Amino acid sequence: MKKSRNLTENDSFMSILASITSIAIGLLFGFLLLLCLNPKNAVPGMANLLTKGATDLGNVLYRSSPLIMVGLSVAFAYKVGLFNIGASGQYTMGAFIALTFAVKLQMPWWVCLLGAAIGGAFWGIFPGLFKALFNVNEVLTSIMFNWIGMNLVNFFIANMPIMLATAWGSTASDRTAPLTEANPAAIIPHGGLDKLLNYPYVNISIFIAIIIAIVMWVILQKTTFGYELKACGLSRNAAEYAGINAKKNIVLSMVISGALAGIGGGLFYLAGGGQYTILQQIESAGFDGITVALLANCHPIGSIFSAIFLSYLRLGGTAMQSQGFATEATEIVTSVIVYLAAFALLMRMTLGKLMTRKKKEEKAK
Amino acid sequence: MKKILALLLAVMMVAGLFAGCGEKAPAETKATETQAPAAETEASAAETEAATEAATEAVPAVDATGRKVAFITDVGNIDDHGFNEYSYAGVTKFAEMSGAECKYYKPAGDTDQDRTDAIMQAVNDGYDVVVMAGFLFGPACYNAAVASPDTLFLALDVTPFDMKIEDGEVPANVALITYREEQAGFLAGYAAVVDGYKELGFLGGIDVPAVVRFGYGFVQGAEKASADLGYDDVNIKYWYSGSFTPTDEIATKMDAWYVEGTEAVFACGGGIYLSALSAAEANDGLLIGVDVDQSYISERVITSAMKSLSNSVVLALTEATNNDFKWPEAYAGKCQALGAAENCVGLPMETSRFETFTAEQYNELFTALVDGTITVDNSFDSSVHPAVEHVTVDWQ
Amino acid sequence: MAEYVIEMLNITKEFPGIKANDNITLQLRKGEIHALLGENGAGKSTLMSVLFGLYQPEQGVIKKNGEVVTIRNPNDATALHIGMVHQHFKLVECFSVLDNIILGVEDAKMGVLQKKEARKKVMELSEKYNLQIDPDALVSDISVGMQQRVEILKMLYRDNEILIFDEPTAVLTPQEIDELMEIMRGFKAEGKSILFITHKLAEIKAVADRCSILRKGKYMGTVDVADTSVEEMSRLMVGRDVQLKVEKAPCTPGDAVLSVNGLTAYSKAHKKEAVKNVSFTVHAGEIVCLAGIEGNGQSDFVNCLTGLAKQNAGTINLCGHDISHAPIRQRSQFGMSHIPEDRHKHGLVLDYTLEQNLVLQRYWNPEFQKHGMIKFDAIRKYAQGLIEQYDIRSGQGPVTISRSMSGGNQQKAIVAREIDKDHQLIVAVQPTRGLDVGAIEYIHKQLVAERDAGKAVLLVSLELDEVMNLSDRILVMYEGEIVGQFDPKTTNVEELGLYMAGAKRMEVQDA
Repeated sequence: MKKSRNLTENDSFMSILASITSIAIGLLFGFLLLLCLNPKNAVPGMANLLTKGATDLGNVLYRSSPLIMVGLSVAFAYKVGLFNIGASGQYTMGAFIALTFAVKLQMPWWVCLLGAAIGGAFWGIFPGLFKALFNVNEVLTSIMFNWIGMNLVNFFIANMPIMLATAWGSTASDRTAPLTEANPAAIIPHGGLDKLLNYPYVNISIFIAIIIAIVMWVILQKTTFGYELKACGLSRNAAEYAGINAKKNIVLSMVISGALAGIGGGLFYLAGGGQYTILQQIESAGFDGITVALLANCHPIGSIFSAIFLSYLRLGGTAMQSQGFATEATEIVTSVIVYLAAFALLMRMTLGKLMTRKKKEEKAK
Repeated sequence: MKKILALLLAVMMVAGLFAGCGEKAPAETKATETQAPAAETEASAAETEAATEAATEAVPAVDATGRKVAFITDVGNIDDHGFNEYSYAGVTKFAEMSGAECKYYKPAGDTDQDRTDAIMQAVNDGYDVVVMAGFLFGPACYNAAVASPDTLFLALDVTPFDMKIEDGEVPANVALITYREEQAGFLAGYAAVVDGYKELGFLGGIDVPAVVRFGYGFVQGAEKASADLGYDDVNIKYWYSGSFTPTDEIATKMDAWYVEGTEAVFACGGGIYLSALSAAEANDGLLIGVDVDQSYISERVITSAMKSLSNSVVLALTEATNNDFKWPEAYAGKCQALGAAENCVGLPMETSRFETFTAEQYNELFTALVDGTITVDNSFDSSVHPAVEHVTVDWQ
Repeated sequence: MAEYVIEMLNITKEFPGIKANDNITLQLRKGEIHALLGENGAGKSTLMSVLFGLYQPEQGVIKKNGEVVTIRNPNDATALHIGMVHQHFKLVECFSVLDNIILGVEDAKMGVLQKKEARKKVMELSEKYNLQIDPDALVSDISVGMQQRVEILKMLYRDNEILIFDEPTAVLTPQEIDELMEIMRGFKAEGKSILFITHKLAEIKAVADRCSILRKGKYMGTVDVADTSVEEMSRLMVGRDVQLKVEKAPCTPGDAVLSVNGLTAYSKAHKKEAVKNVSFTVHAGEIVCLAGIEGNGQSDFVNCLTGLAKQNAGTINLCGHDISHAPIRQRSQFGMSHIPEDRHKHGLVLDYTLEQNLVLQRYWNPEFQKHGMIKFDAIRKYAQGLIEQYDIRSGQGPVTISRSMSGGNQQKAIVAREIDKDHQLIVAVQPTRGLDVGAIEYIHKQLVAERDAGKAVLLVSLELDEVMNLSDRILVMYEGEIVGQFDPKTTNVEELGLYMAGAKRMEVQDA
């Protein structure tokens, strides 16, 4: 930590340079892996991976927005000293409230989205309370609340016949109603993006996510509220000493983090194509959030880019099926790339050392 | 800081495991047709069974060299011992016979967008026919078919109703196929009663139409047999588990059924037969398989109510090939319910473990279904039960 | 045989914004105790880290027995028989003492640890040097003094000839300090060479042969301890004459600022009364000192007073406001400033920048925020003012991360913050703990200046010198009770000691 601060003169430049270098190394390793898996198709496979997203930008953006939100959720919590591994549960809760508002109460999309935020926030309260009152590690509670949330939502949906697709003229009884049938007004509007980017599903959620990311950044960096939240996260004792209500702020931090994840769930399901499926399976979105956040070094604005990067890679990975790579193989490749890209921090330190050494040599001359 | 980072990375990896464990089956390698032959040898007994069964069908010689057929998987993996695997078996069988290329695509996720994307990817990769399995493909199939009128689409288990067409009709480049599961269920139910079993059970997965038709057919078959033989003491326990995956709850329930005297259970839905099987083994009970010949699974499978996914795929693709790669009249924009008449349902008499039910009896019954002397009600409303007089059904 | 076992010649080590070591030379003779003296942040630790291979110097060479050596990492240092006891011990808490000692040089046969030999050697060493340890106890269970003995045994176990002690006395009780001095003399008699880093002049006088002095990263020279006075050494260290005795005018107490009445609190840790019926008053313009041996309820009392904990009975009155149950911020706004005992735990958000910490008690003022948006310019300007006024030194000024600052400057920042905010009362808890003479002098002066400006000062201290020096009135606390009240002019350390140890007590009602 101390060392990375050696380079204050061009801090953001170094960050970006480090990220790009790491990504390049990741791609190189990914390519080597492809060569091992299927040497004949490695080059076209890699080309697919890299170019698919560029030719299908609308699709990339469509898939990015929920990722940005879960990434923000984890990043925000991390910035205020909490590790929110419960983004999945909050995401599920957000999705549940959004879908209930949409299908059962026939609300317009923005009300549903607010509902999603409330649902996620509600699910963030519990780990927050446990942490604030009993000092129980939020990682533990939020993992447990992932399961509780998932099972609770499954229970509610299975017992609300109106929510299920079967009530809206569909054959599937294991998933919620398609919004196209149940309540088209609850689908997030496209705002012309579908025509502009030539992808029918892309909607304004990408703007919503970006705006929220900027708001989060402002809150954390520019407001006394953010100052208090961070103080509580970094040093609960010092914050209390300064008269900050640490208990309140810890709960509030988890609530905000939960709301962000909840909005992620809302954005995903209110896009219209997804139907919540009753499965004994935790949404993987929350864990994607950890990837997104760490890749962005927990910076809210950085989360936008890392989420886009991740969905770009994933879309490219799916496209590699055209070159005969099974999805399982492409998942390994994309994971390797993401994993190596996460070494950006390490890279930054190495680059920093190189730079200072060079400077010194120049000086010596 | 280093420590925290290390911890985070560790948690991330664990998290990855959590996230992943639900989704991924062991990686498979049959990605391309070049690799397909190698994979074929590893394929399960069931697949080979399905293929040989297809071969017994009189299929006209066909040449589709240079044509490309894509298959899009339903939720789950290609090697799911079910819908995906057997449908794709039909595609590979056709490719082998005709010299066409084939490949499968797996959608990125379980949404209409993902399914549409996968279909469009196949279309953009230059495939002439896209085959897909499962009613979830309805809207995606419609969108893709409208967007690419020069490509043929074959959707299994999809009805026009599933396609959610607001105005207009099923496009002519789409062929929809459903199955008369009620006939398969009927055959199994009839055979079981004739073979002397009077305590039967029906274990359904989720009450989707196909499962309901299997179940109602099974009840109707038992009813018919009881009527023919003058029985009035046949009992059927009837239950949907609400899941297509094996659970302890199902195993416990089946345990109770066998203990209460149930002799044979018709386990109908994805992997839930595994739960029933464990209960059957513990209580010396018997099973009836579904979809394909499941006799290879255990000695306890007396017969299987088959619907031949692979057969129907080969049939449809062959007809299209011989019609200059257009759907013939009977297929274009139509939804066909394939049943006994098309030899797409049946019982595997060679591998069935019947005591008294003979091949002659089976053929007689099958012919009656083909020529319409016997009709089986095909309703699939899970809230309206079929009327019974001679058997007692315990609707659970 | 060269004259010096270790020579560090013309060492220069830079960090961004600061030259931690600037052309420093240090020569260690065989069999001597060589003190390294300097204020906090003078570069002592950096120099030792260079010797120990943790940092690579930009310039300079290290010689052992006259030969140039390269030390890239601690393993190299160990190979050269250089050992170090760090200020913050480097022990594995959940390992036993023995495991900690052999860690890194453990002997194994076919992958199985051979502890028998090791145990024998450790016990021999322990006996020889009178370093009492329990080899099977877990490190997390033993006292700080024993942990230090474990660190020393670690060095001996590795047959180290050059022993570095980085501020070893900071964590020890007076009795333990004496023991350590004895042990060091024993090593010297054995022919081992010792580097002894400290800023406590008395200890140098007691044990060291020669002393090298650093100031702000520069080498100020090496002196023979026997020929040099304490004043001379402190002048070399600080760069000016240091007043070891505080000059202050007679006290003129004004109105009561703080009155505590019947305060009683139960300790969470011990489930007994930690503070019993404490009553006293602090007036404007006086320094009242709460003295006592550590663990006699001072911390619990201060926590109740400042609002960090809740008392079970009793009232607190500050400038006419009853603050018995007021939240912390309200107490602060009524005029209480608090220099906390633990500057790392309470005083600072260590990962915040210096400027962020300087506004920790007033960021909510309209001066620094508008509608919840922070006014960065105002904070920067304010911080720069304080940094200049209070001479807070750091690598990068207002944006320095507080964690990277030296202890003295961290404390200066806290003092600056607490004194600069509107207040009538300063509660200063061990404000000079772990600081060097220069910083101590500075903080003492600030507190006296506050008194002279008509503020009330409540000083809680364990150091009797400080108590005698600074206070206008002394209250002694023993087992949670106030057992004596003294005028520093009419009492002495010995008398206070008796009361602090509980040997004597007087009835003090509402002091």
